[in-house]
Amino acid sequence: MFSTVRERVGEVLLPGDEFSFEAEEKISLTAPVKSEKVVCGPGLRRCGDRLVVFKSGVLRHKEPNVFWIDSQQRRYVPAKGESIIGIVTAKSGDVFKVDFGGSEQASLSYLTFEGATKRNRPNVQVGDLVFAQFLIANKDMEPELVCIDSSGRANGMGVFGAGGLLFRVSLGLVRRLLAPHSDIRSDLEQLFPCELVVGMNGRIWVKSATVQQTLIIANLLQSAETMTAQQRQQLFRKVQQGAF
Amino acid sequence: ASDVSVLWLPLPRSLLTCRTAEPLEYHRSFLKENCRPDGRELTEFRTTTLNIGSISTADGSALVKLGNTTIICGIKAELANPTVEAPGKGYIVPNVDLPPLCSSRFRPGPPGEEAQAASQFIADVIESSEVIKTEDLSIDRGKLCWVLYCDLMCLDYDGNILDACVIALLAALKNTRLPEVTINKETSAPEVNLEKRWELQIHKHLVSASFCIFDDSILISDPTAEEETLSTAHLTVVTDEDDRLCSVHKPGGTSLSGERLQECISRATTRQREIQKLIAKVAHSVKKAQ
Amino acid sequence: MTPSACDKSAFSTMEVCGSLTVSLREFGCEQSLLSRPDGSASFVQGDTSVMAGVYGPAEVKVSKEIYDRATLEVLVQPKVGLPSVRERSQEQCVRETCEASLLLTLHPRSSLTLILQVLHDDGSLLSCCLNAACMALMDAGLPMSCLFCGVTCAISTDGQIITDPTAAQEKESRALMTFAIDSAKHSVLMSSTKGSFSVHEVSGLMTGKKECAPFQTNKTVNAKPKRPDVTNRLH
Repeated sequence: MFSTVRERVGEVLLPGDEFSFEAEEKISLTAPVKSEKVVCGPGLRRCGDRLVVFKSGVLRHKEPNVFWIDSQQRRYVPAKGESIIGIVTAKSGDVFKVDFGGSEQASLSYLTFEGATKRNRPNVQVGDLVFAQFLIANKDMEPELVCIDSSGRANGMGVFGAGGLLFRVSLGLVRRLLAPHSDIRSDLEQLFPCELVVGMNGRIWVKSATVQQTLIIANLLQSAETMTAQQRQQLFRKVQQGAF
Repeated sequence: ASDVSVLWLPLPRSLLTCRTAEPLEYHRSFLKENCRPDGRELTEFRTTTLNIGSISTADGSALVKLGNTTIICGIKAELANPTVEAPGKGYIVPNVDLPPLCSSRFRPGPPGEEAQAASQFIADVIESSEVIKTEDLSIDRGKLCWVLYCDLMCLDYDGNILDACVIALLAALKNTRLPEVTINKETSAPEVNLEKRWELQIHKHLVSASFCIFDDSILISDPTAEEETLSTAHLTVVTDEDDRLCSVHKPGGTSLSGERLQECISRATTRQREIQKLIAKVAHSVKKAQ
Repeated sequence: MTPSACDKSAFSTMEVCGSLTVSLREFGCEQSLLSRPDGSASFVQGDTSVMAGVYGPAEVKVSKEIYDRATLEVLVQPKVGLPSVRERSQEQCVRETCEASLLLTLHPRSSLTLILQVLHDDGSLLSCCLNAACMALMDAGLPMSCLFCGVTCAISTDGQIITDPTAAQEKESRALMTFAIDSAKHSVLMSSTKGSFSVHEVSGLMTGKKECAPFQTNKTVNAKPKRPDVTNRLH
């Protein structure tokens, strides 16, 4: 089972494809016995004794036993622990309602900001952008955001300052940007100095020295999605020559 | 003591599950024993009662009860100009109405999706089966023809309205008497002679049979409203007396193998015989009474 | 959508089918061609063309909320005029087929909206709608238990079976059937028929369908990980 799944890593799989657990495997006497458990990530699920694909995309693997489907998606579905950029849409009593582009609005308590107490309320207005992470995110409950980590620190989260530009890209691009050693990010770093906030919900906020530079970065990122590495580097070089 | 055993025989485990709280579990416990909550077998249809000619003001009418499901059909004939594409033909306009009266799930206002889909289904069945040759409805080629408005109204919605609608429609068409129309040669105006009426010729006795699939595998016929909402797929098969299929309508739902479909088709053909017999019997008794 | 993206996705997946036993018209599909919807696709079968867009999982109206699964709405927009009773029945067929293949319980109390815009109808419209719907749902990345495809067959007056008929062939035919077939078990998800036919004819189609595996082609275009065209062939 483990090896049959592993063989297909990197292939495009479609909903309805399945792996059966029954396949007999040779037990090696010399190699240490590894646990045969497969951990299903997004796009895979267990159905009886089979592993069923329910999203189309490329099968990915992470040592030792995590598998998932890397799929293209535009609509964000919240997941616990993910950081997103949200827009405060309403204040109701002790909580703010935050739109993050999902199927319903998330709640954000005013006490979940760094240093906030009952007396010392954070200064958050309707229309403000917040960078927050999900404390509760499951299909049956209202999603809940917090702007502090488990030790009570802001850790980069909170309300955004003035200026900057917010735009939307696909979730696939966001994941590529956030991946360790992302090549798009390193290409971008060579271009202009800028502040970049990437939310897992497909929203990106950019701020740099001038409005023109901010716009260029936004346009570059939006077009980078459908380009090969070569094309992108070519474009970045062109921009660099034009800018200086 | 004997009473107790009688009570327990058809209700083995079902008393343990609550119908309102766990309707699906409740039905499953019955289906496991090859019976249904209302005492029917899996492929059994509910008692069908038919009344022909119930509306005296209509040109043809019928009332059908399929268990609790009640459909009344009234046919109104009007004179109209034939369409340009088919100058030698009349036409039939069916309409299924699901008023708020028949079930709490329908709201007042314009017809919902279910009513519109049912109307379209009936129209398709009429067209593909040629239950009535539309040529028969022509009076004067290219100038005058009959148009039959078939209004099917649901009075009580308890599932399987399509079957009831088809029976009501067929019975009402059989009951329809159209007045004779002559065209005045001088004024070329139509003259309707209400005294002299003629019977519509029914070419095909089409009967539909509906089925539901429970839990992706169990096939049941003639579902009630509750069974319809709990099931995963619906299937309606329309056949005529020559065992030709006029429609195999399955608007989605879980998949069905070819063998199960064959099963449904053969059940539908036996159902066709039953209903044709019933209609003939009722029509005969109505004639006798007149 | 940026111009560069448009260039790349322009009908790069057109498939030509040159089989003698089954004649399907040329068909093609393009995904993510609209920028606003969460998933979009256009499907072309010969001259019949349908564009599909999916929004969701999004916020749901309280009156349409279902506590344990997502609400799926399907809208079929005809080429000219307003949607009529015919479109309603097509909507019902497409909706219930999609409901069977989507895992709606994974997004309870949310809404999915699928809009099908008919661009041109030259026969086999319902099957083209089904194909476009499947492609758009896939593009939106919604959880599905299987894919499905639609196929229309006409039985001509001399008893011959024509797959994927044109509007002219449809008009001359004695009976017309549209099936939706799922990719996992190759069984019938939806069937809609017109005209009368015998039991043998339909059972021949059913068993014939089983023998042929669905014909799937996956195309990887640039960064897009998936571009599959799915169709079933009938013998």
